[in-house]
Amino acid sequence: MATAAQIQKGYIDYVLTHDEKPKSVYSFAKKLKISEADFYAFYASFESIEKNIWFELTVETIEEIQKQELWAQYSAREKMLSFFYSYVELLKSHRSFIVYSLKSHQKRLSRPEVLASVKPIFENFAEQIINDGLESGELAERKFFSKRYKDALWVQYGFILNFWINDNSNGFEKTDEAIEKGIQVTFDLFQRSPIDNLFEYGKFLAQNGNLKAKMGL
Amino acid sequence: MKAQESMPTTKVERSAKFVKTGIQIGGNYIKHYSKKIFNPALSRDELNEDNASDIYNSLSELKGSALKIAQMLSMDKNILPRAYVDKFTQSQYNAPPLSGPLIVRTFSKSFGKSPEKIFDKFNIKSTHAASIGQVHEAELNGKKLAVKIQYPGVGDSISSDLKLVKPFAFRLLGMSEKELNIYIKEVEERLLEETDYELEVRRSIEFSIACKQLENVVFPGYYPELSSNRIITMDWLEGQHLKEFLNTNPSQELKNKIGQALWDFYNFQQHELRAVHADPHPGNFLITKDEKLGVIDFGCIKEMPDDFYTPFFSLTSTDLFEDKAATIKAFRELEMILPNDTEAQIEFYYTAYKEMISLFAKPYTKATFDFSEPKFFEDLYGYGEKVAKMPEFKQARGVKHFIYINRTNFGLYNILHELKATVNTDTYKPHVKFG
Repeated sequence: MATAAQIQKGYIDYVLTHDEKPKSVYSFAKKLKISEADFYAFYASFESIEKNIWFELTVETIEEIQKQELWAQYSAREKMLSFFYSYVELLKSHRSFIVYSLKSHQKRLSRPEVLASVKPIFENFAEQIINDGLESGELAERKFFSKRYKDALWVQYGFILNFWINDNSNGFEKTDEAIEKGIQVTFDLFQRSPIDNLFEYGKFLAQNGNLKAKMGL
Repeated sequence: MKAQESMPTTKVERSAKFVKTGIQIGGNYIKHYSKKIFNPALSRDELNEDNASDIYNSLSELKGSALKIAQMLSMDKNILPRAYVDKFTQSQYNAPPLSGPLIVRTFSKSFGKSPEKIFDKFNIKSTHAASIGQVHEAELNGKKLAVKIQYPGVGDSISSDLKLVKPFAFRLLGMSEKELNIYIKEVEERLLEETDYELEVRRSIEFSIACKQLENVVFPGYYPELSSNRIITMDWLEGQHLKEFLNTNPSQELKNKIGQALWDFYNFQQHELRAVHADPHPGNFLITKDEKLGVIDFGCIKEMPDDFYTPFFSLTSTDLFEDKAATIKAFRELEMILPNDTEAQIEFYYTAYKEMISLFAKPYTKATFDFSEPKFFEDLYGYGEKVAKMPEFKQARGVKHFIYINRTNFGLYNILHELKATVNTDTYKPHVKFG
């Protein structure tokens, strides 16, 4: 009886050797010397193997960082930075597969399907952090917009991942820079800023439209 | 009236910081000359001030190597008008810090452990910025340590930053690109060395051993096992920076003592080691409680080859100037006079450089020198400004080694001037003789 881990390992080995996925579940199962039924007991398709790998890596990262001593002291911004640094560190040991997986599924302009399993966990995680930040006052509560903060972070997620697979600097240092600068900017936008004040001032002026008249000008 | 409202008011966003500065400087010139039409007496000081703050703003936003270049330009008071200098010297105190997670990441990349697992105590908030990194306070086995962490990607961005700086350098120094290239290359080499923290630790240890015999100069201990290509761990030196020190109204005696330590430190290196700490920036020194000079940064070391050392210091420290032919020979070796120069040019540069070097060598000519003397510095600046206006000096002259050696010695003079110290200048003399 095969295990999920064995099938996963066999699959990664196959795609990295052949640079494409197996022709069929039948041929793949034969190669692993398991029955097709064994395969389907764990996975519905090759795609689901890949999705599962992505899922596991992401969950592992989130669990890992929350165990760190400093986690509790971190601000929302630092928590998100910490996630990405740990994430690219973990992905590094699976880099060949990650690059294969993203490149083979990448269609222009659309996020690869394999990341579908990551999105809900990432968004859930991001939402937690954002809510903590909103509660502590670190981030600005804005009607309609604060609900979309997590979307901005998901965009950053895609950007950082893409940056990383194309990064050929020593120790992926450029990715570190991309994370540091990108997340800082994103969180700067989440914070209360002069734009908010400007908006409120505009609102005030609009509500007091007849101010001129009031002041006798 | 309707038409007015619909007029296009949007400005093109310019993402490249330097493009923006270039335009602003252009604008500053326009501002200057349009004001001048109405007020012919307007001096260029205001213009210089405007330009300096625009350049400074862009540079400080770029951080890293550009910041370093700002510091470097700030050392050359002899080249740049004062307004530039005042702005540039601010540059070391401004730079947004690295995030906590990135610090943790740098540590785990280097040592596989987070900082609080390596040290007994580690302050995740940095105490101050160094130009290409930041400094954190830590503690291990009861000892207070300073941990310097480099910003990621500094090395990579140096070359590209230098390319961006080039057009400004042309404008500021008025040189052609080809002439400037050998200098830019020299700067690039030194800057890249500065990003190599492993090299810095090795050198710091070497230099602190070599300079051990110097009185009143102290160095922190370095910990190679707690350092990597991005991290340097050293002892925490308690002390005051120059400005703070001067604010405490130290006695003249104490100022002389510190000044002497500085003088000895630099001249011992130049003449005994033939390699010198080429970053005499006030931020790299501390004055300790027991009245000693602490040296905390060996990132930038300039080595002097014999074919530079001998002709240059023969000019400053022997009576070579008595002999015109020998002087011209030395100028040729230093490429201050070029092979294709005409008779008239040779005569011109001979006179000009002789004056310049005599001025520079003034502290060496007597056994003691009073650096509080404003006359000497006015002469230096005055000569610098005069030279900057001469068309003959639009052309780059002098071997590349001059950049760092000038920066070192003028930097040293400046600090001594700020200290208002009188020092014995005959402690470590150049090893050159004439004849």
